[in-house]
Amino acid sequence: MKFQISNFKFQIIFLFISSFFLFLVDNAHAMHISEGILPFNWALFWSVIAVPFVAWGLYKLKKLSAIDLSFKPLVGLMAAVVFIISCMPIPVPTAGTCSHPCGTGISGILVGPAISILITAVALLIQALFLAHGGLTTWGADIVSMGVMGSFAGYLTFKALRSITPLIPPFNKGGSGGLAVSGFMAGLFADWATYFTTSVELASGIKGDSEFMPLFWKILIAFIPTQLPLGILEGAMTAGMVVLLYKKRPDLLVKMRVLKAEEAAI
Amino acid sequence: MPTGIVESGLSPLLQNMEIFNEQFKKDHLLSRVDARVKLGVSLLVLAMVLSYKGIVFPLLILCVSLAVCVRIKIPLKVFLLRFSEPVFIASVVILLKFLFSGQEAMFSIKISGVIITGHKDGLMDGLQIAGRILGAVSVVAVLGFSTPFTEIMAALSWLKVPKSFIEILMFAYRYIFVLLEDAMVIYNAQKNRLGYSGIRRGLSSFGTLTGSLVLKAFESSQNITTAMIQRGYDGNMPLMKHKPFRASEIIASAAIIAAMGVVWKI
Repeated sequence: MKFQISNFKFQIIFLFISSFFLFLVDNAHAMHISEGILPFNWALFWSVIAVPFVAWGLYKLKKLSAIDLSFKPLVGLMAAVVFIISCMPIPVPTAGTCSHPCGTGISGILVGPAISILITAVALLIQALFLAHGGLTTWGADIVSMGVMGSFAGYLTFKALRSITPLIPPFNKGGSGGLAVSGFMAGLFADWATYFTTSVELASGIKGDSEFMPLFWKILIAFIPTQLPLGILEGAMTAGMVVLLYKKRPDLLVKMRVLKAEEAAI
Repeated sequence: MPTGIVESGLSPLLQNMEIFNEQFKKDHLLSRVDARVKLGVSLLVLAMVLSYKGIVFPLLILCVSLAVCVRIKIPLKVFLLRFSEPVFIASVVILLKFLFSGQEAMFSIKISGVIITGHKDGLMDGLQIAGRILGAVSVVAVLGFSTPFTEIMAALSWLKVPKSFIEILMFAYRYIFVLLEDAMVIYNAQKNRLGYSGIRRGLSSFGTLTGSLVLKAFESSQNITTAMIQRGYDGNMPLMKHKPFRASEIIASAAIIAAMGVVWKI
């Protein structure tokens, strides 16, 4: 079966309108792939990809909780925070609607990608079981897009920018400016990486006999009105959170190895 | 403009929390069935729904699940909250596949120079995916509606899901409600100080709100650990003990799976 393009202009307009309606639902969770949307082979494929990452998270958890007994409760509470954040609708000005942030950028920054993947897996499982956001059959795919890609994108962007910003004026004078920029970009890329991966997963799952690339582009375009600005808003939110922690509890950022002790002295 | 949406930020989440209500999970036919049996049957039926090529089987599962929901007296509001999003996603998928996928044209109309073509094979593909979504969601809904959280955790433990993962799930589930209450207090305080008047202030307030939740998670994890250590916590949490399987449950579930298997094969 070939993908048929009857009128490109119409398709673009339709995709924008359909994405608008998709996010118009007050509590739309478009970053989660819905239960049952992926056929068996793709659901299994993404689950197999996700398993080693979750196992890595559990390995790290075991190691860290052996040193510090409060680590397991902390990871549990962080999972509750990610659950709440990824249920909160936030405004998307260009679409005039709301979507939800991922929260994996901030967890990636604070606890590292391995634990952040575990946190996302836990939050996603509770949402799948009780809220019909995501699903058991799409749990693996959602872990890969939100947990693996979101956490790694957030963590690596933050680390890279934290090593560069002290060299660039005006951030080389100290203060929270460099932290805010790094946090913003980490949130932005965590969100966009999730959205990109979700598009890949959806296109491969629902393409049927059609070609992959045309459908992938259509899904990517359909996400644009909400996800591009949402990424910017998630960036702003992540920057706000990092700066708040820096001002209120810099010792926590030092404990989580986000800051060095000398940087935490305000 | 979106400020209104920011203002209503937490209320939809709180409405959805009714889904977590455990009252309707007690005193009915399914509540007396072992959670391991329910989980096993659900996972097998989910695999059948995902691997079925057609629409009859998922729709049959949907009908059976809806009948079970009526039989165990799920409140209508909770039921609608759970199904509203999957139904919407299924509708969008049907529309996308009908208009953009397929070769066999059903109709073609021209509106203001734009050609709209509907495809028969695209429609069939869309209906198949939509059926899969609704069938799978209904199976997980019955599981979620009929099984308390602690029993699901015990069943996961029996299925050899790592204990650390289950412990994190239990911490997260417990503290979602605690953190949500804190979020409401902060949110109301921000609202009383015009925290959500305008996009800029709204985003800043949202960042502060989520940052405060992260801070609360860190602080609470310390307090919880101290309290738990005083009560003998050594890094491991006890889980519910299983009763032995009842022969009647095993026979009944095997009969259900066999019947489903026959329909699936047809």
